[in-house]
Amino acid sequence: MTRASLRTRKNYKWIYLFLLPTLIIFLLFYFVPIIQVFFTSFSSWDGFNSPSFNGVDNYMTLFSRSSFHLALRNLLIWSLIAATVHVGFGVIVAFIFYRQPAGWKLTRTLFMIPNVISAAAWAMIYRFIFNNQFGVLNQLIRTVNPDFSVNWFYSSPWAFIAVTLTWVFYAVIVALVVHGDLMNIPQEINEAAVIDGASPWQLISRIQLPLCRASIGTSIIISISSRITMYEQISLTTAGGPGDDTISLSMMLVSAVMDYRYGFANAIGVIMFTLGIIILLVVNRLLKMNESVY
Amino acid sequence: MRKVISTVFMYAVMAFVILISAFPILWVMMSSFKSNGEILTSALSLPSGFDFSVYISLFTDYSFPRYFLNSILVSSFATLFSLLVFAMSAYVIAKYRFPGRMLLFVLFTVTLLVPAHSRTQPIFSLVMNLGLYNRLSGVTLVYLSAGLAMSLFLLRAGFMSVPDSLSEAAEIEGAGFFRTFWSVNLPLVKSSLSTAGILMFLNNWNEFYFASLLTSSDSVRTLPIALSFFTSEFSYNYTYLFAALTVVILPGIVIYAFASDQVQASVAASGVKG
Repeated sequence: MTRASLRTRKNYKWIYLFLLPTLIIFLLFYFVPIIQVFFTSFSSWDGFNSPSFNGVDNYMTLFSRSSFHLALRNLLIWSLIAATVHVGFGVIVAFIFYRQPAGWKLTRTLFMIPNVISAAAWAMIYRFIFNNQFGVLNQLIRTVNPDFSVNWFYSSPWAFIAVTLTWVFYAVIVALVVHGDLMNIPQEINEAAVIDGASPWQLISRIQLPLCRASIGTSIIISISSRITMYEQISLTTAGGPGDDTISLSMMLVSAVMDYRYGFANAIGVIMFTLGIIILLVVNRLLKMNESVY
Repeated sequence: MRKVISTVFMYAVMAFVILISAFPILWVMMSSFKSNGEILTSALSLPSGFDFSVYISLFTDYSFPRYFLNSILVSSFATLFSLLVFAMSAYVIAKYRFPGRMLLFVLFTVTLLVPAHSRTQPIFSLVMNLGLYNRLSGVTLVYLSAGLAMSLFLLRAGFMSVPDSLSEAAEIEGAGFFRTFWSVNLPLVKSSLSTAGILMFLNNWNEFYFASLLTSSDSVRTLPIALSFFTSEFSYNYTYLFAALTVVILPGIVIYAFASDQVQASVAASGVKG
């Protein structure tokens, strides 16, 4: 669709009227909140009295908290797992779908189910699966080792592993996005590579994988961003425990809001936002570097 | 030999995918038909019969009809209203030239990059100040804003594929601005509307974070919130817990069963959900 086809008749009154509701939503829920989060993160504010500027106090407090260090450490480990195991598994599934083995469509449909049900319900389901007494996992293990007993979500270091297992293999978005990209590769390219004597493995590693780097990059960004905002899988399973084993920025933010420490909460919000942007820029940058290689 | 290994590998991975995706749900549903004793002693056994009395009890002895209604009200109002609002702006952005067009489109869609959690406090305070805390309308209002970027992408692309000649013909026959939008263009983007609508509805139906922050009393709980309270209140009645879980997850699965192609296609195209 070209610009020339856009209609230029003077309908400004109607045009802006049509934009108005979206603009109001944008201002109320995005623009003003973002400005407010940024500015009040430099203040002490309980929500009742007006905010009083306190410089970078909130950030200093935050940086000195051991729970913040643990939240960052958890985020780092989870992000690395997301970028490698999670995205890697999704890419493997995408390549399997690309070969179209019998049953691939059914597999694709079922793989989506955990994503269309509530994350809260999914967290509950996992709480039951990992239940020491009647959970499927431990009952299965007990058929081999009758004395096995682990309270997955309540004991260290199992809680961290259990929370990771609630999401790590559910890479349906990655699989769909990468599969879509694979389907866009012109068949001539694959054929030319085979004629030139490429082995099946070379076809994947030298041709198809590099051609999918945009969707793999997108997948890495999306999956790390979801780690930054992950909430239900923690709040409804371990609640951040045991100790601060599975603490996250979102858990800290919610408890600060509940305690009416708004300035402090918003400092955490600014950090979440900044981390998201950094991930976006870094992954984009890495992909561009790849571009110059090929 | 190599071919055999790769075939075995492919089917092993697919079997694993099916196991982790479908089995937990089947296990939950199966367990809802078992007694507490059966659940505790043999987690993997099949239920001895299909007794629906627990489900009937959920809907008669507990407030599940209320939670169900709340979820339906909040999700459908928010979805319908935001579809209309976002369709209106997607339409003028796709079809008209006016000052600020690209700026607004960029601003609206860049919201995708801002994690909703980082805006928690301002949204919490906004709902408080409007006097909508602990009301369904407060939750609905917040959900209205949720699908902004994704819907705008999908709907703008839809409107761009409608030929302008149709609008011109309608205007020659005397149709005004609103009529050209409502009766000529809107019916032609039905598939974009339903894709955006289904994704927004599912997100609203499943939403937990803001619903839990913005409500406190039992009467305004949506299903995911009710589920989390139910779990702590009835932590020893497993049959009820599994039945409640089934009630919460089943509608999403049913909607998906009817629209799985659309959901998958739009997720692949936008990569937004999740």
